[in-house]
Amino acid sequence: MTAPFSAAGFRRGARVGLALSAAIFIYGLAFGLVAAQAGLSWAWALAMSVTVFSGSAQLAALSLIQAGEATLMTLAATVLVMNARYLLFGAAIQPWLSQAGPLRAFSSLLLIGDANWIATMRAAEKGEADRAFLIGTGVPLVGAWLGGTLVGVIFGAVLPDPRAFGADLALPAFAAAMMAAMVRSRAALVPVAVGAAAALAVGPFAGPGWGIVAAGLAGGAVAALTARPGVIR
Amino acid sequence: MPSMTLMLLVMTLAALFCRMAGYVAMRFLPPSARLDAALKATPLAVMAGITAQALAAGALVESLALGAAVALSLWTRNDVGAAVAAMALAAGLRWAGL
Repeated sequence: MTAPFSAAGFRRGARVGLALSAAIFIYGLAFGLVAAQAGLSWAWALAMSVTVFSGSAQLAALSLIQAGEATLMTLAATVLVMNARYLLFGAAIQPWLSQAGPLRAFSSLLLIGDANWIATMRAAEKGEADRAFLIGTGVPLVGAWLGGTLVGVIFGAVLPDPRAFGADLALPAFAAAMMAAMVRSRAALVPVAVGAAAALAVGPFAGPGWGIVAAGLAGGAVAALTARPGVIR
Repeated sequence: MPSMTLMLLVMTLAALFCRMAGYVAMRFLPPSARLDAALKATPLAVMAGITAQALAAGALVESLALGAAVALSLWTRNDVGAAVAAMALAAGLRWAGL
């Protein structure tokens, strides 16, 4: 028997998504600015936002393109490393979402992001039974992300010097701010230190793109090695 | 560099893989503390790597702006707002001639 997947559940999710969409619009605006700075047309920037739909991965990929270091391998590795958390998101939500049936579940997964995954997990814990809630949270966020991208890339194309607006610092500023928000314990400082050290060790020799990949792999490896077997924190 | 179409295709496939693989794997994999720990740590490490490289490549303005991003994020718990404010601070400092 499949779980409910109704318009009412969609609307409940959409209300949560709308509350989050202003911040996502601003983030999309920043991505659009950086995309314009990297020389992307509005159509390519929009296509990237539609198909990748991940701010951190898109900004990291843009940094490779800007540095002239974009190869198919570095781009794939960067998106995989930046979005590795989605593996966990998908795994964690599977017991709840799988009851919607495969087509609805996989469609919903296309719209999953950090914010609406958290919102949906919280709603599920509170007893939300309607599996359309997740896709409901995702639709306003996609709209805000695409709108922000479009406005940002068009505005960015007429900027005389993106540095004057601090747009060149969009990726590191978002990374620093998100990192600070995600550190909630002393243990979380370990991947921060390992990632920073790995990037500084590899980046100067292999380029900033591989510095990012090295940071993710080293941080993940250390966390896996130091995890207590059988204990999921 | 490869064509934009090829780059977009590769990024799309990688993003799709991340969104789908964990969900699909849950049908076959038992929960693992090590895998869980690695997946939780990876985004933090990547963000730290990006920040560290920007600090190493930058100067006073970049250091002040990224310091402000961290401080405002911790203070307001609004990471997006903190990042936008940091970019505005960098713009202001550069306008002031730093």
